[in-house]
Amino acid sequence: MSEQIENQSVQSEKTGLEQGDLASHNGNFAPLSRSTVRSAMWRHLITLQWSWNYERMQALGYLYSMLPVINEVYQDKDERIAAMKRHLVFYNTNPQVGSPPIFGATVALEGQHEGKAVDSLKVGLMGPLAGIGDTIQAILFRPIVAVFAASLALSGSYFGPVIIFLSGILWTVLMIPLFYFGYRQGIGVAKEVTSQGTLTRVTEMVTMMGMIVIGGFIPSIMAAVQTPLKYVQTVSSQGQTHTETVALQSTLNAILPYMLPVLFVAFAYWLLSGLKLSAVWVLVILFVIAFVCGAFGIL
Amino acid sequence: MSYSIWIALVLAIWAYIGIVTTLGPGLWWQEALVSGFVTGVIVGNIPLGLTIGGSLTLLSLGLWTYGGATIPDFQTGSIVGTAIGALGGGFPAGFAIAVPTALLMTQMDVLGRAVTTIFIHGADHYTEEGDERGVSAMHLLGQLPWGLTRAIPVFLAIWLGAGPIQSLIKTAPAWFSNGMITAGHVLPALGFALLLSMLPLRRYWPFLLIGFLMFAYLNMPIIGIAILAVAIGFLFNMIQTRGAVNV
Repeated sequence: MSEQIENQSVQSEKTGLEQGDLASHNGNFAPLSRSTVRSAMWRHLITLQWSWNYERMQALGYLYSMLPVINEVYQDKDERIAAMKRHLVFYNTNPQVGSPPIFGATVALEGQHEGKAVDSLKVGLMGPLAGIGDTIQAILFRPIVAVFAASLALSGSYFGPVIIFLSGILWTVLMIPLFYFGYRQGIGVAKEVTSQGTLTRVTEMVTMMGMIVIGGFIPSIMAAVQTPLKYVQTVSSQGQTHTETVALQSTLNAILPYMLPVLFVAFAYWLLSGLKLSAVWVLVILFVIAFVCGAFGIL
Repeated sequence: MSYSIWIALVLAIWAYIGIVTTLGPGLWWQEALVSGFVTGVIVGNIPLGLTIGGSLTLLSLGLWTYGGATIPDFQTGSIVGTAIGALGGGFPAGFAIAVPTALLMTQMDVLGRAVTTIFIHGADHYTEEGDERGVSAMHLLGQLPWGLTRAIPVFLAIWLGAGPIQSLIKTAPAWFSNGMITAGHVLPALGFALLLSMLPLRRYWPFLLIGFLMFAYLNMPIIGIAILAVAIGFLFNMIQTRGAVNV
């Protein structure tokens, strides 16, 4: 135990990313060469999902990325084939946040001939890391960035697409340190992921922030949803009655500003969460309603 | 008005690159805003690419391919929509094409994901023989069904379809344009609703109200609301960690 702690502290003192020397701490096998580790990292980074399919999803991409490692570790052809087969089983996780640490850790373990640990690590971590990665990317990061970018684009600014473009590069570049994090941690990556105390707190915090921003986005993005309808009302003032035309929108504004955007979002939310309709159906329903309202001049 | 075969080819290649770079390394070029913008550059109408891409982005806010789920293909939608709208007819025409295209393309997505299964069976076969080059080839060729299920529809739609569709839409009356523009305004509701349906709304709804109040009643700009959100988030974190320390 104390030896492990010592090893970890030794590792954490080194700041360089490309150290093929994790094995030297355990001492059983020669460390993987730097170029093998680097080649595996780039294969995973660039091509992981190129052969994504319904049957085994990211499995083949994982095997392809691992091939340089398998080649270096196993000299015997039958051993190589056995190792390749192990990676041809179902695998799927979040590709940019989840997979790099898993892959990094399994590269290190594969270098130690720890085939069994590799398999259980993949199975054990792909679910939790898919959840964490998808939450960070799809619920917290992408919507907020996308709304900013889209509103810039709708006002004619080139910065809209540029922001999205830079976001993609950001997540791609982040895959490099995430991979080496996994590689240095080895099996310890499982402990890091399962002790989620900090992680849940961060997620909770960012969820609050996301909620507040979305609350502001709904009226600002959908501000154009207004009705041009007018109605005539009879007003009596100073004993005389006369009629006047009132814009329906100003009456609605007096009740609740941005009432129509709120109603549309609430309606769509009810279709999705209440009636459990798929996003495609909700899209069709909203599209038809909005088109008809627009065509008849109601909205 | 119609497009030459070369424009169709360039856009098809762009569609192919967009989806494959999404699979890896994950460059977000399939995002409607990026694909619409680049299409706008290619067909020479950047403002249209920005508005169509921006509108489609807003209605895709909560969409994500969880576990490999199929979602409306706004990448192809924005390419085809921008290209057709650019022939004349602008946003209403382009948007009218983009949304149905995105919905129809879900079928092509399913096809691409299914056909790629062939390649993993090929990989099984080559693994059995210990043929690593064969395995590598299977993986690298796996991009073909993915890319072609986007590139071929884009190519055909732009080369053969754009002209006829365009002349059809150009004769559409004003109410059609009004309907399309309104749809563009309303559809972000779907994006927001999808997002809220995935967030723990029951627990966090007060935060949603705070954001709404800030904009609707206090007219605070969005950047201001974002800064407020960061402050509130850290404040809550502070309160919670202090509680933990005291215990």
